[in-house]
Amino acid sequence: MNRRARVLFGLAALLVLSVFAGANSFSGKYRTPDEVATALRSLASAHPQIAKLIPIGKSQGGSEIAVLRIAAQAKGRPDPDSRTAAFIAANIEGTHLLGTEAALALSEKLLNGYGSDKAVTELIDSRTVYVAPLLNPDAARAFFSSPQFEHTRNARPIDEDLDMQVDEDGPDDLNKDGLITQIRVKDPEGKWLPDPKEPRLMKMADPQKGEKGIFRVYIEGLENDGDGEYNEDPAGGVELNRNFPHDFEYSVKTAGLYPVSEAETLALVGFLANHRNISLVLNFSTENTILNLQQTGQAKAAADRVKVPRMIATFLGLEPDQEYTLKEIVDAANASGMGGGMEITEDMVAMFLGIGAAVQIDRQDMPVIEAVQKDYKEALKEAKLDYPENRTKGVGKGSFAAYCYFQYGVPVFSVDLWAVPEPKKEPAKDALTAEKLRTMTSEEFLALGEDKINAMLKEQGAPPNFSAEMLIKMVKSGQVDPKKMAEMMEKMPKRPPSEGEEHPDAYVLKWADASLQKKGFVDWTPFRHPTLGDVEVGGFAPYLRTVPPPGEAEKTIAFHTDFCIGLIKKLPGLEISKTEVKSLGSELYQLTAYFTNPGWFPTSTAQGRRARTAWPITVRLKLGSEQALFSGRPIESIPFLDGSGDTKKVEWTVKGKKGTSLIISAATPRLGTASVTVVLD
Amino acid sequence: MRANIHAAGLLVGAIVLAWVLNPGLLIAEEVNLSFDHFYDHVQLTKALQTLEKAYPQLATLQSIGKSFAGRDIWAIILNNPKTGPAEHKPGYYIDGNIHGNEIQGTEVALYAVYYLLKNYGRTELATRLLDDRSFYVVPTMNPDSRDWYINKVSDPNSPRSGLVPFDDDRDGVADEDAPDDLDGDGSITTMRKKDPNGMYKPHPDDSRIMVRVKPGEKGEYILLGQEGIDNDGDGLINEDGPGGYDMNRNFGFNWQPDYVQMGAGPYPFCWPETRAVRDFVMAHPNIQGAQSFHNFGGMILRGPGAKNLGDFSPADRSVYDYVGKKGEKILPRYRYITIYKDMYTVYGGSLDFLYSALGIFTFSNELDLDPVEQPTPQRRGGEEQEAEDEEARMMMFQGGRLEEMVYHDLVLMGEQWSNWKPCKHPLYGNIEIGGVKKFGERVPPLFRLAETCHRNAAFCLYHADQLARLEFEKAEVTKVNGDLYQVDIAIGNSRVSPSIASVTVQKKLHRADRLLLSGQKVELVAAGQIIDRFRNLTRKIETQKNTLWVESGVPGFGRLELRLMVKGSGQAELVYDSLKGGQKTKSVVLQ
Repeated sequence: MNRRARVLFGLAALLVLSVFAGANSFSGKYRTPDEVATALRSLASAHPQIAKLIPIGKSQGGSEIAVLRIAAQAKGRPDPDSRTAAFIAANIEGTHLLGTEAALALSEKLLNGYGSDKAVTELIDSRTVYVAPLLNPDAARAFFSSPQFEHTRNARPIDEDLDMQVDEDGPDDLNKDGLITQIRVKDPEGKWLPDPKEPRLMKMADPQKGEKGIFRVYIEGLENDGDGEYNEDPAGGVELNRNFPHDFEYSVKTAGLYPVSEAETLALVGFLANHRNISLVLNFSTENTILNLQQTGQAKAAADRVKVPRMIATFLGLEPDQEYTLKEIVDAANASGMGGGMEITEDMVAMFLGIGAAVQIDRQDMPVIEAVQKDYKEALKEAKLDYPENRTKGVGKGSFAAYCYFQYGVPVFSVDLWAVPEPKKEPAKDALTAEKLRTMTSEEFLALGEDKINAMLKEQGAPPNFSAEMLIKMVKSGQVDPKKMAEMMEKMPKRPPSEGEEHPDAYVLKWADASLQKKGFVDWTPFRHPTLGDVEVGGFAPYLRTVPPPGEAEKTIAFHTDFCIGLIKKLPGLEISKTEVKSLGSELYQLTAYFTNPGWFPTSTAQGRRARTAWPITVRLKLGSEQALFSGRPIESIPFLDGSGDTKKVEWTVKGKKGTSLIISAATPRLGTASVTVVLD
Repeated sequence: MRANIHAAGLLVGAIVLAWVLNPGLLIAEEVNLSFDHFYDHVQLTKALQTLEKAYPQLATLQSIGKSFAGRDIWAIILNNPKTGPAEHKPGYYIDGNIHGNEIQGTEVALYAVYYLLKNYGRTELATRLLDDRSFYVVPTMNPDSRDWYINKVSDPNSPRSGLVPFDDDRDGVADEDAPDDLDGDGSITTMRKKDPNGMYKPHPDDSRIMVRVKPGEKGEYILLGQEGIDNDGDGLINEDGPGGYDMNRNFGFNWQPDYVQMGAGPYPFCWPETRAVRDFVMAHPNIQGAQSFHNFGGMILRGPGAKNLGDFSPADRSVYDYVGKKGEKILPRYRYITIYKDMYTVYGGSLDFLYSALGIFTFSNELDLDPVEQPTPQRRGGEEQEAEDEEARMMMFQGGRLEEMVYHDLVLMGEQWSNWKPCKHPLYGNIEIGGVKKFGERVPPLFRLAETCHRNAAFCLYHADQLARLEFEKAEVTKVNGDLYQVDIAIGNSRVSPSIASVTVQKKLHRADRLLLSGQKVELVAAGQIIDRFRNLTRKIETQKNTLWVESGVPGFGRLELRLMVKGSGQAELVYDSLKGGQKTKSVVLQ
């Protein structure tokens, strides 16, 4: 290539780049996995000094999975991969195309803000942000395929029906509308019937209400392999957001054979494990773990008192038939000399006896989560984006978000970004809301009477055995007061409104009719099915609940990217904020160093410390050649620092000549290293 | 001349015949392996290569992956292809040495391979096993730590882990403070220091033994743990040695993170060694029985490893019990027990993965007992407690017994005992170093290694023989009318293992058994399982293109009876195809 051609080529490349860079912001059209890959490449090449594209693996179906690293590298600054970082994950389910767009928009906001927005510049200079906008490309492709069939599985070929053929009986687009909906067919054994108020919706017959089913309902499709079952072995795969190792469901095919069995989940978990500097995970998915804190999994019954296996009990001098607390067992173990000089801890005993994993958010972590929740709710209200919390989904079994909190050991916030708008039910004028309760005295509450209290309990979805009578007794005895009740009410998992009057999907249908020009629902139309005979094809269109129509996405993306950047600014950090040297005479110096977390988040979560994936802060004192330590240890450990400037000090007494220097450093993998040189003076 | 040619022809014929009947007899090169020493990785590799070379028609050696440090993880597959491909026979899998210091499992596995090859054509059992079963043997899963244990400085208990660096003390640096061989004897022993306030004193009858003082009594020594110094200056000694995880907690069933199950690793199958074994076992779905060797304590273990799984179904338990209890007779003083109930809790152990995720009946033998011979206490009535105390002692090896010193002095002739000798320690000052050397515990003394190998291999071969053994017992054709025939079939199983484990049926772990009918002009019209042959009751089975699926397979020591309605004429071939129970064929004529 001659010089002229090279210049021209360079210009052309620049032009192409700028076009791409301009085309990045969400245009109302969801990007295909290939377009997402292109967008990421162009973002990286448009911002070469602060953006780096890191391929982390390939999906089962062969699509590349990439992480965009956003961090400024400057002299004297720690390497981007060893300083405090946030990880932004999106679309692990594949149906959450909105999340992918939000993650790209967030990347752009940071990249474009660098140099122009002071706070963003500071953030990118000192912290690292990793963005993975598309973690399940295989499932995401389904949105762009025809027919469109909504699912969250990767492309791993699985023989679901164990007939030695793979993916041979998936759904089929019978009415050729490009959408996989449903089939209903009259059948004497049918369990379904049309909803009396909205006959387009199907509901399960309730024999207690005198209802008898008349239809069977299937996914739209043929009996492709002649085994009598419909659509039982569709293309793919494993549902990636069930393939993570916290509370994983074994023996469920769609969850995978074992945790992290999939190329995609392995790439993600491997990336996290190799980037121990990640201190916060933000996740765009159908879950909203800020508003819904419900967890999966069952706490171990009687985990605090356990039996000791006979052989070990004999050894320790305990009774095999009796239950002991961990402490009692630890004491017995240490007294037996079993450790051979090593101290036996409760942790070791718990492990030895198989006491299981945590399944609830640690109480010590709640204040941080509650503070984020409060901010989020207020910000949503202000942006007029709040929607009924009782529709938000918490984490599922084996989910990515639960893995991040319980095992990876960092704070994690999943946001769903959007839900089908539901008309807010104006609470009846005399209905008891949490706000009203809070202002009441116990006497005022009791004065309401049993009927009103019962109505409130029903509205709140209290368990049926929890009656007004009981509550009144509790208030009378002082066990509970209205203020406490209000708090409980707010923390209680929000249930969908009690069924009865309206089909739970009625509001979705109303919205689809009103906002989507009826495109959200395929009306039941007759079809002659080769094996089922006369059937009707119809039902909700795929992606109705996860992908908002154009026009509804922009506002929530703008809001959530700002909110997330706000959270990233709160990342913890590690500084040596102050050192003091005090001469004690005769070449003896008292040395004090103060270690501070300048961020808002604590340096680690309580669960991270329990899971041992949040490391303590290791403080090292490196003495000069002619110095000696008089008291204190050359390596000290600070378990953690709370947020907002929490400080802890470490003291040493050092023998050394005046004017000589030594180095104090503090390091922890999640926050990097800080160090300072101190002169004895 | 003519007679000579005849004679030569006869001779050739006889040789061919002899070879067909008894190929083992004609192996030219005799391989002799000895089991009076431990094989390091180089020696093991050579032994396996020699076996493959000597028995090319029966043995195939393959590398199933590389260890962290790049050593080959070997698998040797045994099968007589003349009686069918390996994947059409029930398979038996053996691995050893998943824990780096538990080395003798490798010798047992190697011995089992050697025994089968050497005795093929010589003994009825070895011949039958290599004709009817295939064997998949990984003598060492952990070659890195094996070589470390055998050739480098170590103690009896380490390295148990693999050798991927691991930050045990969470100070951001990995493997920076291992024990140190201060006295240069090749073993890590223990440190003691004279101290008037110590908690230990020399045994009155043998001053080499340290005993704890009674309350109120004054001691003479303090014990300072394993031989070593504070390499990283953090005030702790030996707190971050090589590796530091547990590959037998890294398997993908009932896996729990490190804080629940120490050593589990960040996620299942995160190390090259566990991945290699997972891939190898999963690539051979015909494997029906397995053994994973550990040491020590004289146990034949079965799962589940943890209580939350609940015990196995009665049907599968009876299979385990049948084989395990026989094992107690093959292996004197070994006890057949259940991990979570009788030992401790193991999450993510290989045997739970093999059984609960893949449907393989798996045992894990804890090889060898306390090597110190002592009279077995006579169990009198009502002395259960005493017996249990004894068992507890055998399981948890306790140093410091007089009998042990007799054993070290007079049986091992001092080879595995390092006498206390003075040493200058940078922190503790004048100390003494001494104790049991690395081969003095957990591994059998060499003069007993061969017995460990033979008896445990014998248990494996017994289990392998008890895998499903299916035969067509009956295939009766009765004409119904025209070209419609009733074919009554019985498939028997003369062994305790069912062709499909009940856990598999329950959780649909793999495909069911199937019966295939083929022939130029035959069509399977209907089929049923005979459930009451006196009342002539059958339960309908759906058929599809001359195939029927048998969801629960053929029970152990039992039979499956089927009735087929077949349209057509002439020769028809029946194939009973079981993923783990093997494949059997039978021809019938429709007439």
